[in-house]
Amino acid sequence: MRDVVIAGIGSTVFGKHPDSDIQTLAIRAASAALADAGVARSEVGALYLGNFVSGPLTGQEVLAGLVADGLGLPQIPCTKVEGACASGGIAFRHAYLAIASGVCDVAIAAGVEKMTAAGTASMTAALNCALDNRSDGGSGLTFPGLFGLAWRVHEQRYGTSREQVSAVVKKNKANGLRNPLAQMGASLTNEQIALSALICDPLRLFDCCPASDGAAAVVLVAADRARSLKRPPIRVLASVQTRGSARIAGHLDLCCFDATVSAARLAYTKAGIDPSDVDFVELHDCFSIAEIIDAEDLGYIPRGEGGIFAAAGRTAVGGDRPINPSGGLLSKGHPVGATGIGQIFEAVLQLRDQHPNQVAGARIGLTHNLGGTGVACTVNILGGPDA
Amino acid sequence: MPERIDFVALRCSSCGALDIGPTPICRSCGAEQMDETRVSGGGRLASWTVIRRAPTRFKGQDPYTVVVVDLDCGLRVTGRGIGEIESLFAGAAMCCVGQNEETAFFDLAKEQQP
Repeated sequence: MRDVVIAGIGSTVFGKHPDSDIQTLAIRAASAALADAGVARSEVGALYLGNFVSGPLTGQEVLAGLVADGLGLPQIPCTKVEGACASGGIAFRHAYLAIASGVCDVAIAAGVEKMTAAGTASMTAALNCALDNRSDGGSGLTFPGLFGLAWRVHEQRYGTSREQVSAVVKKNKANGLRNPLAQMGASLTNEQIALSALICDPLRLFDCCPASDGAAAVVLVAADRARSLKRPPIRVLASVQTRGSARIAGHLDLCCFDATVSAARLAYTKAGIDPSDVDFVELHDCFSIAEIIDAEDLGYIPRGEGGIFAAAGRTAVGGDRPINPSGGLLSKGHPVGATGIGQIFEAVLQLRDQHPNQVAGARIGLTHNLGGTGVACTVNILGGPDA
Repeated sequence: MPERIDFVALRCSSCGALDIGPTPICRSCGAEQMDETRVSGGGRLASWTVIRRAPTRFKGQDPYTVVVVDLDCGLRVTGRGIGEIESLFAGAAMCCVGQNEETAFFDLAKEQQP
C-alpha cells in the first residue's frame, strides 16, 4: 500500500443554507478543496461522497455523479456512501484506499447534508432510519434516547455528574464562538444548561447537537507526488473503519461503543503510535455525554474519567488532552454526511498551524466519526509536516 | 398491574442460540431456521430514558419511557416501560407484561430482590 497525503481542504459554513441546493453545497466545498490543493480537475481519478438522507430530505439522489458533473470532473467513478453519521468518514476511507491501493493518484472525499429546510417531523423520521427499526426502533427509542440510556450507566458506574457533562457543553460552545464555520457557538452557564428543556432524560436541549446544512471536502493524493503541491502535505498515518452491533441487544456495555474501541486500537497500531502521542482529537460529540464516552473508548482519556477531565479543563484547547477545538458537533453543527469530512478539515488546519483555536505545537491529530447505534465507526490519524 | 407474561424470542434449530429477533438466520452459527420460543419475561433493568420528543411514528404518545432489560435468559431487550418513571432504578427486577409486532412492554416486578 502506498502512503497517502491530504493536499487540500474546503468547507462551507455549517448552519442554515436555505438558498443553496444540496449539490451546490458539495460543489462549493470540493471546488475550494481543489483550489487549496492546486490540483487540476483533470487529475482527479475518483470521487467519494458521504451522505445520509438526501433522498427523504431533499428529494435528490445520485449525488456523487451530480457533484462530479457540476465540478466538471472527468468521467471517473463517483460513489455515494452511507453509514448514517459516519458517512463522511467512510467516504474519506474509500478515497484513501483508492490511492493507497494504486487505483488512482488523486481522489476527492466529500460529505454533504441539507437538513434545516425539512420539517422537524420528517427530519426525526429520517434520522431514525439509522436505528434497526425492527428491534430498537419499535420501542420508540430515538438517538438522544440512546445517549440518555448511556448517560445513566456512566453516571451510575463512574459517578459522572450533571456539572461534569455541562463542562463539555460549555467548552464546545465556547470553542465554536471562535470558529467561523460553526453554527452556534455560545457562552453558557451551568444554570442555563441545567434549565434547558428536557429532551430524553437526563439529556437536555444544550446536550444535543443541532441539525445543519453544510458540506466539506478534501483532496487526497499519493505521497510520491506531494512535492508538486502548493501546501505542506498532511500525512494519513492510519484510516480505519470498523463495525459494531446494529442493535442495543448486541451492546454488552451501554456506555462503550466497541466499534470505536477496535477502530482506535487498529489505528494506533497502524500509525505506530500510542494514544498519548495524539496532540488533539476531533470526535463525534453528537451529544454531550458522547464526548466523554468516545474519549474513553479511544483510550485518549482513562476509562470513567471523561467527566473529571472535562470539568478540570484538561480537554480545553490549552489543556493537556484537547478535544474538539473546532467546537465539535455540539456547536459547529452536524450536517450528518459532512461531519466526518468536516472533522478532517479541522484537523488539517490544526496540523498546518492555522486553526482559529490552535493547539500549540500540534503534530498528530485524530478524528473519530460514529454512525447509528455505534454500527459504523471510522478513526483517522493524521500527521503534520513534522510528524 | 398487568399480568406477567413470557417473552417470545427466537431459538436456532441447530445450535440453540437465542435471539430477540427478527432475524432470518442464526447470528451464531448461520443456520437458516429460527423457531419461536418462550423464555422467562423476568429480568433486570440495565438503563432507561424518557422520550419527550417522539419521532413521527410515535407522535402523540410522548412522553414515554424506553427501557433496556437484561432478561434472565441472557438476552438484552429494548422495550417500552409502563408505570412510574420515578420508581425505576438500575438493577431493578422487571417483568414483561406485553409484546406486540413492534416492541415489548415491561413493568417493575412486584417483588424486588437485590
